[in-house]
Amino acid sequence: MYQTIHESVAVAGVYKKAEFTPKKFLWQKKIYPVDELTFVSDLRDGKTKKRRFSLVSGGNSYHLLFDRDRETWMLEEVWCD
Amino acid sequence: MLQQETPTLRGKPLAIVKDEGRTCIIAASKEAKKLGVKTGSRMSEALTVAPEIIAIPADFDLYWSATCKLKKLFESLSPDVSMFSLDEAFLDYTPLRQMHSSPQEFAKLIQSGVKDTLGSWVTCSIGISHNRFLAKMTGEVSGPDSITTIDLENKDLLLSQTDFKDVCGIGPRLARRLKGHGVVVPYQINFIPDGELKRSFGPFWSVELRRMGRGEEPLFLSRLKEAPSHMKSVGRSITGWQLCNSESVIKRTLYNLVSEIIYKVRSMNLAGRLVSISVNGGGRSWSNHVTLKHHICHTGELFQYVYYDLYKKWRRPFPVIKLAVRLGLLESRADLSQSLLPKWQKEERVSVACDKLVSSYGLFAVTSGLLARGPIIRPEVTGFLGDKQYQFM
Repeated sequence: MYQTIHESVAVAGVYKKAEFTPKKFLWQKKIYPVDELTFVSDLRDGKTKKRRFSLVSGGNSYHLLFDRDRETWMLEEVWCD
Repeated sequence: MLQQETPTLRGKPLAIVKDEGRTCIIAASKEAKKLGVKTGSRMSEALTVAPEIIAIPADFDLYWSATCKLKKLFESLSPDVSMFSLDEAFLDYTPLRQMHSSPQEFAKLIQSGVKDTLGSWVTCSIGISHNRFLAKMTGEVSGPDSITTIDLENKDLLLSQTDFKDVCGIGPRLARRLKGHGVVVPYQINFIPDGELKRSFGPFWSVELRRMGRGEEPLFLSRLKEAPSHMKSVGRSITGWQLCNSESVIKRTLYNLVSEIIYKVRSMNLAGRLVSISVNGGGRSWSNHVTLKHHICHTGELFQYVYYDLYKKWRRPFPVIKLAVRLGLLESRADLSQSLLPKWQKEERVSVACDKLVSSYGLFAVTSGLLARGPIIRPEVTGFLGDKQYQFM
């Protein structure tokens, strides 16, 4: 089940065909390379638009949340068996 | 979709429940279905047939995002698309006959598009036929990632081999009634005389069942493209995970449901005058409604009717697990005259101000102090996409 983390992270990635793909993220002074981007969901509540990147790093699943208005990144959830 | 998003879940039997602690299975992975787990069954029943099953809470944001992507993909492939549910759509091949060598080739294009859009783990079953009823039935009974064609020659085989409970439009109650008459597959309807069918199932269902028996489109599918100009009613229900006897929790929950209904109704510039409430708990139920002479579109007004005029007159003889509220007989506010009463106009000014804040900061950004304590029930999409006119607005 996904456990909520909700901590700020730094994300590096590439823009290709007007779409951003995260390649690695920095969380608690450790770099996590993105092995697989499994899905991208667009979330909206009012005018607040967020994009959720579901990805795999080192065999674990993570949800990174990008606030498209504030341009901030959060590590929202981590999968825990 | 959950298996696509979280690779560690791939290949495992999963039961999707609405939330943590809930026991009703609203969807099951193909691995769980193979073990005999059925949608609608309880976790306790699933654990007896599949002890290794994993319960996962539904992720409605994920499903809705996937539906929007699918809609965009389908609309790029065909000019005639009807989204039927969260994960089902009808695409008319007729206007595309000059572009593809066959419907099967077009179906392959759809399948590869779905995999490119949603991911390689996602499967897509396609049923091809001359009407929506047979195409849907085909897609329903064929395996994952299959392309199955039903034509006039093999349609009777499909109609005689598909269980009525798997037929679109047939609910569990009607399926039981049909079984009571010895009818388990649609083809058997052809052997029942018109008079007997009408006597047993009434004037509406006798005609619908006759159509289904012949493999023709029932009314709700043939009318799919004749969407009404606006929604006729907006409702919201919530089922808790245990029976509730707390008046304050029930009051707060009703206010929460009313707020969401009014938010949707006002977003569509509608107002309604049929207010209904229904309550379930411990196998018992109660419901009531009131038809007003005027249309309402304010949270406070709807809450007044739902809570004080309807609910409070009920003496709550049993604890509650499910609450449902509905505002019906909706009309466009452009066709209605506004009340001149100062109280109504004041409430409208407050509602307009709240609408502006909510449209910027999200639903429940501004709400009553009633919802300040306790968790807020947020909007969800339903699998059958009953409010698609609002969702695709």
